[in-house]
Amino acid sequence: MVKKLLAAGMLGLGLLGLGGMAQQRTVEIEFWTYYLSPNFDNYIKGVIADFEKANPTVKVKWVDKQDTMERDLTAAIALGKAPDVVNLWQDSTFAAAQNGLLTPLTELTTQAALENAYYPNVLSIFTVDGKPYGYPWYGWVDQGVMMYNPELLAKAGVDPNGIKTTDDLLAASEKIKKATGAYGWLPPVKDPNGASFLGRFFLEGLSIYDAQGKANFNSAAHVALLQKYVDLMKADVIPQELLRKEAFQLTNELYSQGKVAIMIGGPQSLNRVKESNPDLYKKTKVVAAPLGAAKLQTGGAMDLVIPKASTKKREAALFASFMTSRANQVKFANVVPIVSTARGSENDPNLRPKDPNDPIEVAKGMVSGSGRFINPGFKPPKNTDDIFKNFNDNIEAAFLGRKSAKQALDDAVTFWNANAK
Amino acid sequence: MHVKRRALTTALIAYAFLAPALVLMGLFTFYPVIYGAFLGFTDYTIADLAAKEPPRWVGFANFAQVLGDPLFQTGVWNSLKYLLVVPVLQVAALAVAVLVNQKLPLMGLFRTSYYVPVVTSIALAAVMWDWIFQKDGFLNWSLRLLHLINWEGRFSWLLNEHTALWAIMLVTFWRGFGYYMVLYLAGLQSIPAELEEAAVLDGAGAWQRFWRITVPLMKPTLLLCSLLSTIAAIRVLEEIIVFTGGSGGPLNSTYTALLYVYNKSWGNMLDANFGVAGAAGLLIALVGFALSYLNFYLTREERGGRA
Repeated sequence: MVKKLLAAGMLGLGLLGLGGMAQQRTVEIEFWTYYLSPNFDNYIKGVIADFEKANPTVKVKWVDKQDTMERDLTAAIALGKAPDVVNLWQDSTFAAAQNGLLTPLTELTTQAALENAYYPNVLSIFTVDGKPYGYPWYGWVDQGVMMYNPELLAKAGVDPNGIKTTDDLLAASEKIKKATGAYGWLPPVKDPNGASFLGRFFLEGLSIYDAQGKANFNSAAHVALLQKYVDLMKADVIPQELLRKEAFQLTNELYSQGKVAIMIGGPQSLNRVKESNPDLYKKTKVVAAPLGAAKLQTGGAMDLVIPKASTKKREAALFASFMTSRANQVKFANVVPIVSTARGSENDPNLRPKDPNDPIEVAKGMVSGSGRFINPGFKPPKNTDDIFKNFNDNIEAAFLGRKSAKQALDDAVTFWNANAK
Repeated sequence: MHVKRRALTTALIAYAFLAPALVLMGLFTFYPVIYGAFLGFTDYTIADLAAKEPPRWVGFANFAQVLGDPLFQTGVWNSLKYLLVVPVLQVAALAVAVLVNQKLPLMGLFRTSYYVPVVTSIALAAVMWDWIFQKDGFLNWSLRLLHLINWEGRFSWLLNEHTALWAIMLVTFWRGFGYYMVLYLAGLQSIPAELEEAAVLDGAGAWQRFWRITVPLMKPTLLLCSLLSTIAAIRVLEEIIVFTGGSGGPLNSTYTALLYVYNKSWGNMLDANFGVAGAAGLLIALVGFALSYLNFYLTREERGGRA
């Protein structure tokens, strides 16, 4: 009797096993995005549906993470429930890769295929110690286009076509402030994330560190540039609030109220204006953005990474490549003005403006195919958080008049060279 | 014997009722606290977590590092300054509780309006206070109206290292005031009316009644409120993150001790150093313990000796 029962049990287990094998053909992967729901639900769900149709054995479970993305990712990995495809960005990819949380993509996709699919300049953003860790996804350019309030510029007697360089822009800002009381342009000098003023050096063609990685941003030219911005803030040509708030946010807020005349950046800056002040949006004009002395466009991109702890890396890579393909990025660029990072996008016929009178459409036509110009700037140092905090503290001290520009930069360089592990 | 057994049964039943809460607290409060304290004595970073390496025991090394870090010292100093909000908050909340405890018309309206900030979300409060503290904001505008400031020399209260912390403390005061007022009000209403009446008959004035009847009978509530607000002050974080974007600026003048812990762990999760964060957290907890003890000591009941 016991034997019979055992045999029946074994048979049952065997059948279950067979059933399991049939089931095994469908694999479910978990995909995390960053702040994309609910605005882009239709787009993301559409791409997932297309992918599942093309790959019937893979199911994608989409989760949109917001503020808690990095914490949740670490917690999920610690709990052994790592997601399979995760949307990160430059700094987070850098930190996660350095701490061994991510899979090098070359274990899943050949270097040649990656180079064929994405612009090399963007791929290099996600390359840490010679290995690529992120499939480049949607990008942005910091300079992009210049969007302006024509009434304020006319009142100040400023010709927008005469603004070709950052110096022209700052001179125009002075005129605008004097004539109208509104600010001209709000440069990022101390955004809460990163170390924005290093970006100002970079755009003006000044070095950040030498070939050995030793910081050297304290030459006379660096000091003069910082001093110039310090003086502008002292004269209230640029607002002091830039020390506390992100320039992008503050610009958006004040432009819609008619308190800022010029926005530099991607067309996404116009989305909020369109919502909060439709009249001003219709009046807004768009021209090519002025550039710094280095004639560079800086920018960045989001990417899709595959955690080392993922148990379905092959399927994850398949999906990440699909999501970031040129066809899907161009589709995304038509939903919201992002910059496609897929190679060949500059010639894509689907990225031309549809309405030449709509500011967002015009701006989109000018930037969405400009992924090949995205320049990540410089690689952040190791021990990024401590070094950037110290850099920002010193820049702040210079702006608040507690240290001279030279002293601030000397102190930041000394700290950097002592603490970059 | 019978009595003993009954007592045992009663105790067992009591424990049975306590058990579910105890298990939950053990799991979600005591275990994380003990584990966090343990991590303070180890070298354990996000890279170890990724590589599934266990924490390595390093004794007091993290404590030495944390105590030697000027940023932590600044944080502790600012947190201690933040404690100044406690006495002001408690005195104001008690005084207003006494006022709204009067049987006068519209008292319900006053009580409700004082409580509104407690239920207002910090995000909304931040927008409002941000506007109040701006260079051209409501505060400077009001001060000019009262001829208290020179308009040309005005500044943003959150961008001056001498005022930023005080400005944020004012927000904490505003947020906590209604909460403590309600606690005091509950305490006041539990004082028997006969005591007051008897004192009035004996010829005691309002001030005497307050010091001889209200304050002594309110001691348990006073202890509770000052303990809660001391712990909240030493652990302040939310306001700092909202008003400074987590930088603790300007010039680290609002950088608090808990912001240090936050930035070493949750704030920069992908670069987290749990050992250092654990050690800093434990040090702050010790300060919290010391202050709590001080609170108990100051409000202790005098026992015996008096006829």
